[in-house]
Amino acid sequence: MSASGTLALAAVDSLGAFASGGALSAAATDAVASGLVVGTADWWFIGEPADWSFVLDNADYLGVGVLLTIGLTVASILFGFALGFPAGAVEVYGDGLLKRAVGTAGVVLRGTPIVVILIVMYFVVGVPQVNFGVASLSPPVVAGILGLGLRSAAYQSQIFRATLASVDDGQLEAGRSVGLSRFEAIRYVVVPQALRRSIPGFQNEFTIVLKDTSIVFAIGLAELLTRGYDLFSERTTAVLEVILFISAIYFVLTFTTNRALDYLGTRYAIPEGEST
Amino acid sequence: MSDSDDFLRVSDVSKWYGDEQVLHDVSFEMDPGDVTVLIGPSGSGKSTMLRCVNRLAEAQEGSIRLDGEEVLSPELDVDDLRREVGMVFQGFNLFAHLSAVGNVALGPRRVLGLSETEARERAEAQLERVGLGDQFDSYPAELSGGQQQRVGIARALAMEPKLLLFDEPTSALDPELIGEVLEVMHGLVDEGMTMLVVTHEMSFAREVADEIVFLDGGRVIERGPPDQLFERPEKERTGRFLERIASHD
Repeated sequence: MSASGTLALAAVDSLGAFASGGALSAAATDAVASGLVVGTADWWFIGEPADWSFVLDNADYLGVGVLLTIGLTVASILFGFALGFPAGAVEVYGDGLLKRAVGTAGVVLRGTPIVVILIVMYFVVGVPQVNFGVASLSPPVVAGILGLGLRSAAYQSQIFRATLASVDDGQLEAGRSVGLSRFEAIRYVVVPQALRRSIPGFQNEFTIVLKDTSIVFAIGLAELLTRGYDLFSERTTAVLEVILFISAIYFVLTFTTNRALDYLGTRYAIPEGEST
Repeated sequence: MSDSDDFLRVSDVSKWYGDEQVLHDVSFEMDPGDVTVLIGPSGSGKSTMLRCVNRLAEAQEGSIRLDGEEVLSPELDVDDLRREVGMVFQGFNLFAHLSAVGNVALGPRRVLGLSETEARERAEAQLERVGLGDQFDSYPAELSGGQQQRVGIARALAMEPKLLLFDEPTSALDPELIGEVLEVMHGLVDEGMTMLVVTHEMSFAREVADEIVFLDGGRVIERGPPDQLFERPEKERTGRFLERIASHD
């Protein structure tokens, strides 16, 4: 029977009088009429045991996807930071042509669908394979990191632009008043405060990039979600199981990184007084 | 009245913000160890004048010579200037992410190039000097306003400046906290520190100033030793301002 049939039946089964949509009811009636035995009501929301074992049997296939997802996310976030932080600083402290160029690049990148950025990177720019001695990154991976990283840089620049600008001008002035150069005053006085304030925005950005890595399917890469798609295409009764399993992995990844960043925020929080 | 040997010589300084002229040919001089107090109504240009001395504001005309060097020269390295001219701000402007010691040590560490240990020792000594020997590791938000301003003074002192600028150092403080800051400033006067002070604390001005400069509308209306200026102001505007201030005390 079809996955939707299972779902619909289960819904009818467990919710009783709750009125299902027309299509679902039809499917449910159809399934009942065909005389299939449905699992107990307790099972409806986590699926059939057989389909779970299908998921677990393919755990290593999904595992490779997890590694690719993590790798793409970390590399893109780091690349995005390396580019986005200076870009944010230029938008706050820069002037003239550089500031305009950075601002325009950001607007263009933020205004372009990520699929387009990836396709441009892979098919138009035609990035090469990158070798690191022991390992090498294939062109799609390089294109994925560059594309996701560039877009993340465009968004991260706005996080840092906002937090750098939020530090009171008096801080910079006080730094200059003891003889720090403008760069030093920004570096030693403004940046440490701005970075602390960037953590909540950075948590968002990390979560978004993590989930958006799935779009690299457009250039032929099979990360976690694409591999999941492959799996449930192969066994259509296991859609729910595969999707739940994958969602749980995404959840664990976002939850742990968010908690880690929370910890970082607490660890480096600027002490506050009772009141002054 | 003045000669080229003055320690600080401000001559005919003018400044505009856009079309609005905020300083009109301001002139005064200081000798080493002098305390000069700039007074005047708000918007009179006294803070702007003060900030021109360490180039936090740029004067467009005139001359400011410090120890024989032209402060307004485009070739002057403002960072070199500022390491010799300390500044204490109305709003304290303590580095929010650094402890008291961190605030005071940053300049010696990064500008003077002292080692971390040397910078910390110097910071601790300066904090002791302003009576904060028990607050080395407190952060600005954990300190009272008066304590914060004393850290601000210690931060300026740690650079061993030859001139200290005070921009309304007690104006942001609750009345009961003003005393501790003025006490520290008194101590510096006694040590012979050269100080240029913008303040509304008239009794402090009276006690410690060698010269009072009264500014109004960006012009020096009158200047002279406190006794003369407070007791026998020559200009009517000075008298009116002092009366108004006195009625608030």
